[in-house]
Amino acid sequence: MTITIALPSKGRMKDDASAIFEKAGMKIVAVGNERSYRGRVEGLDDVEIAFLSASEISREIGNGSIDFGVTGEDLIREGLAEADARVEFCARLGFGHADVVVAVPEIWLDVDTMADLGDVAADFRARHGRRLAIATKYWRLTQQFFSAKHGIQLYRIVESLGATEGAPASGSADIIVDITSTGSTLKANHLKILSDGIILKSEACLVRARKAEHEGDALVARIIEAVNGALA
Amino acid sequence: MPLINLPAFAADLLADFERLGTLRVDTPVIQPAEPFLDMAGEDLRRRIFMTESETGKSLCLRPEFTIPVCLRHIETATGTPQRYSYLGEIFRQRREGANEFYQAGIEDLGETDVAGADARAISDAITILAARLPGRHLKVTLGDQSVFEAVVAACGLPAGWQKRLIHAFGNSAQIDALLTRISSPQPVAGLSPQIEALLASGDDATLIAHLDETMEATGYSTNASRSPKEIAARLKEKRALEKTALDGRTLGLLREFLSLSIPLAEAPAALFAFAAKSGLALDGALSRFDARVAALGNAGVDPGLLTYRAAFGRPLDYYTGLVFEIVIDGSSAVLAGGGRFDRLMTLLGARERIPAVGFALWLDRIEQALAPRDREAAR
Repeated sequence: MTITIALPSKGRMKDDASAIFEKAGMKIVAVGNERSYRGRVEGLDDVEIAFLSASEISREIGNGSIDFGVTGEDLIREGLAEADARVEFCARLGFGHADVVVAVPEIWLDVDTMADLGDVAADFRARHGRRLAIATKYWRLTQQFFSAKHGIQLYRIVESLGATEGAPASGSADIIVDITSTGSTLKANHLKILSDGIILKSEACLVRARKAEHEGDALVARIIEAVNGALA
Repeated sequence: MPLINLPAFAADLLADFERLGTLRVDTPVIQPAEPFLDMAGEDLRRRIFMTESETGKSLCLRPEFTIPVCLRHIETATGTPQRYSYLGEIFRQRREGANEFYQAGIEDLGETDVAGADARAISDAITILAARLPGRHLKVTLGDQSVFEAVVAACGLPAGWQKRLIHAFGNSAQIDALLTRISSPQPVAGLSPQIEALLASGDDATLIAHLDETMEATGYSTNASRSPKEIAARLKEKRALEKTALDGRTLGLLREFLSLSIPLAEAPAALFAFAAKSGLALDGALSRFDARVAALGNAGVDPGLLTYRAAFGRPLDYYTGLVFEIVIDGSSAVLAGGGRFDRLMTLLGARERIPAVGFALWLDRIEQALAPRDREAAR
């Protein structure tokens, strides 16, 4: 059986992932030229490397067309319903740190917790004739966090594909759910993270599609062990 | 459109609806998605089938009938009172079971005799189910948000807490968490010395002006979202409450009330006794409750079927009073569910307030509840 591992195709994520694989004794070499989207592992003929974008990796791992992938936990949990049933998080790789957070305008001095936000949301329609609007590209994570975890139902999601943190100031939404690593972009846009508003502490992970044929497969076990060994 | 997968008893249901004097209406299967998401919240999005029109308008497959029937009423400017009935397919994403199934029901719009209309909805639902499921012991559970609202108001709780409690009503985990939270003081922290000073001074105008200036300076519009006035008011409310905690006696009373689950026939006396013992003035809510119990008696509903559960409600902000559910004794499958939604019509755009009560029947569950031999006979 050939095992396919998908790695980020560019940027720091690509370099960091390659470094960990090399440290794990699985040096990755590109097939063809430097910019090829395919690769192989030195000394492991049964492993293929596919270089994909991080969000593609989440999708491909969900439909099982690849065996392993390196991508952010946020993309997996946002992209897949019942993520834990479909993929196994084999290792947390220690790079690509980013938190998915609920942030509100700093000037909302009375709003510090999700409970405060729940109050504001409950009243919003009566005061403003519309529901509280949340700009985000994280539909699933937002719904799970607001509805299932905090019992807040009365809000509307405004899809945002870029510059989400600018939405409250521009008036296209009231608050945001977005990813942040240092918080500096939030600060620059006069937004603050709620004290209990961290939805997910994400980082790059080695994930495996849960496939029956992986059961008892020596190569699958070896890859997981080697990557974890490189992190120790 | 004749559909061959209609339950065999659909024709009998329609005959019942006609005999009950309702006006049968149909609504398009493809509906604008906005009103559903707006009324029920974002959580609904993953449970309905959505698509987009060529022009980018959000559409969905009809997930229920109440909103379409009410919208149709508003659009056709039909006078009230008016009782509508419907029978048709609805579509929902479910992990288990079919994604499309039949629902039928009655929506009673504009009847000002609230107790009478409530009783008629329950009585109609029971009559229809009993005719489909002869010999099965039906069980009806009733709740009433307005009684809970009266209890929290009579306890003299701060307005902010009352709102939170009423908002969480019907979701027991949320109510529990909330009661625990307000049982200890919630300090307001993280304010700058300047804001602290403004708050302490009691000078609202200066506080509001300061918020206004800050928003202007940081590029936030002062009227697109929450206004300086609104933020200042809530901040003051939080500050006023930060040393307050729900006292043990009131917490005990609320928990005692929420744990009530008794035969409906005994509920008025039990509620009057609760009010008298706790010294809470619940008169208005209790007399309306009592009137409904009397109306149910007048409608000939067997009191043995009815249970009142004080904590039973639906956490949707347009439900205002009665809610009820009907199951077969010993089963958890809800065959009929209904309630009063006096706030929905104006939320949907009606110019005047139109009281409304209704119920929906789950035809797939009724079919499953039919004994196998009945199902054979019906074919």
